[in-house]
Amino acid sequence: MTVESILDVDNLTTHFFTQDGLVKAVNGVSYRVAKGETIAMVGESGCGKTVSALSILRLVQEPPGKIVSGRVTFEDVDLLKVSNSEMRRVRGAKIAMVFQEPMTSLNPVLTIGRQVSETLELHQHMGRQAALRETIKLLGMVGIPQAERRVKDYPHHFSGGMRQRVMIAMAIACHPRLLIADEPTTALDATIQAQILELIKNLTRELGTSVILITHNLGIVARYAQRVYVMYAGDIVEHGPAQMVYDKPRHPYTLGLLASVPRLDETRKTRLLSIQGQPPDLIYPPPGCAFKPRCSYGTQCRDEEPELVEVAPGHYCSCQLSRNGKLPW
Amino acid sequence: MAIAAESIRPHRSLWTDAIIRLRRNRFAVAGAVIVFLITISAFLVSIFSPYGYDQQDLDAILQGPSKAHPFGTDVLGCDVLTRLLYGARTSLAVGIFAQFIVLVIGIPIGAFSASASSRVDNLIMRFVDVIYAFPDILFIILIRSVLGGSIYMMFLAIGLVAWVNVARLIRGQVLFQKQRDFVIAARAIGASENYITVKHLIPNSLGPVIVAVTFNIPRAIFAEAALSYIGIGVKPPTPSWGTMIRDGYDVIFAASHLVLFPAVAIAVLMLSFTFLGDGLRDALDPRLRR
Repeated sequence: MTVESILDVDNLTTHFFTQDGLVKAVNGVSYRVAKGETIAMVGESGCGKTVSALSILRLVQEPPGKIVSGRVTFEDVDLLKVSNSEMRRVRGAKIAMVFQEPMTSLNPVLTIGRQVSETLELHQHMGRQAALRETIKLLGMVGIPQAERRVKDYPHHFSGGMRQRVMIAMAIACHPRLLIADEPTTALDATIQAQILELIKNLTRELGTSVILITHNLGIVARYAQRVYVMYAGDIVEHGPAQMVYDKPRHPYTLGLLASVPRLDETRKTRLLSIQGQPPDLIYPPPGCAFKPRCSYGTQCRDEEPELVEVAPGHYCSCQLSRNGKLPW
Repeated sequence: MAIAAESIRPHRSLWTDAIIRLRRNRFAVAGAVIVFLITISAFLVSIFSPYGYDQQDLDAILQGPSKAHPFGTDVLGCDVLTRLLYGARTSLAVGIFAQFIVLVIGIPIGAFSASASSRVDNLIMRFVDVIYAFPDILFIILIRSVLGGSIYMMFLAIGLVAWVNVARLIRGQVLFQKQRDFVIAARAIGASENYITVKHLIPNSLGPVIVAVTFNIPRAIFAEAALSYIGIGVKPPTPSWGTMIRDGYDVIFAASHLVLFPAVAIAVLMLSFTFLGDGLRDALDPRLRR
């Protein structure tokens, strides 16, 4: 694994200073993305996966949020240190983002064409006409029929799936090196989900773009990501090659996530497993392993700060139980 | 094929949708029609009226309505209808041009205030509060005594008083729109805050502003009439409804139509704009409609 990384996130910590106290949304996470690689960030709602992605682009609302420490090295530059105007030249041009909510992520009073053209005008300094021609080409690439007519349409003329295609067209407009897809299919119909993911996969492969795929759906991870990072309560608890994490999950939380994916081939009588309890309060996180209160195996665990340890080549896990190789499951 | 059927459907923008909704509102349509008719007549009065607005006929003073003078004549024998229509020019000009000044001052200040640091924002808004708290007419009189008496100064005076409303409105709208998802999406493509304010936030805030401006027009018309009534509005012989009411007031018992017609004209024009404003408000935000 000596492939050159395009993004190196090191000990990133993002906190929210709220009325009720300090929310440690992202608590010193490190990960890397290689050139052309797709990684997945998996975890429940509120585990910090979106915040960690927004932190890369420095889009965390400040206040109340603040990136407290860490390094985000993208193409040998620490993005947390560059000026705001340099950061704007990175956003959209080198790192692009696709959001979860296609219904609200487009400006309702501007035409689709204007919004996709914006990216091109901002970064490639294209004129209006040239940007519009390129926009039509892009909309064609993301599978919007009759693009030359639909550029004049407004977002409310589009269905959710079509809007997400528009968002993808905006994101790939400047051929970014890295695409962050934040639950790109969560708001869509199950039938559209696969189409959108295939589209992202094909386009990014064509352009050689690396992808961070944020999702809570483990089902899609295996198909689209080479490596997986499992996040829990602001920490990465397990990461490794997708196949290994799938076949041999080392963290009880990953195990729980995998068990709670519904399967069509099970009999109806089998109860769908779910992880007991609620995600921890990030203002007062439990000491030691944050998953311990919900863990079925954690009764004998010591209260020490969990640490990621390599349990197999390239496969890391922070669970005390899996360190000695003997898994209780 | 579904795709083919969809592409045949005409492209409708949000504004087109709003106009379609507006056309379903009878009061709004009536208001718009009356405003339109008054505007057209005011433009064409110099062509179809046999009288000039300052054409005196001392043999026919203080006449009631007749065939030759449908609305009668005033103390100097001028045709009241002709003077009313010329007066409409003054009213409409003041009502509408004052709004341009309101927009030119109000939108940038409101938008800037919303984007500025909280201290600057606070400072601007307290300044707005001060102007807001000041009695309008008093303030206009003050500005007029400084700026002089031409009709352009009248636009300016009314505009300088009324912009605070729009500034407040735009500020509130921009702050609200800022929370919406597409703003983060715009930031994510590398747009600067100023760019987002100008290209995304202000256009999204214009609906309520258009409504406010429509409601401001009758207020400006009324302010002009009031100023002319107390003698610091437009200078005679330029006709103004306010001046006409004052002149008629001296002979109210002998020729009440001299007060009646301009008063009704003010009421009708104001009401028409108000209906139009109501209709626009409902059309631009269907959720508000009951």
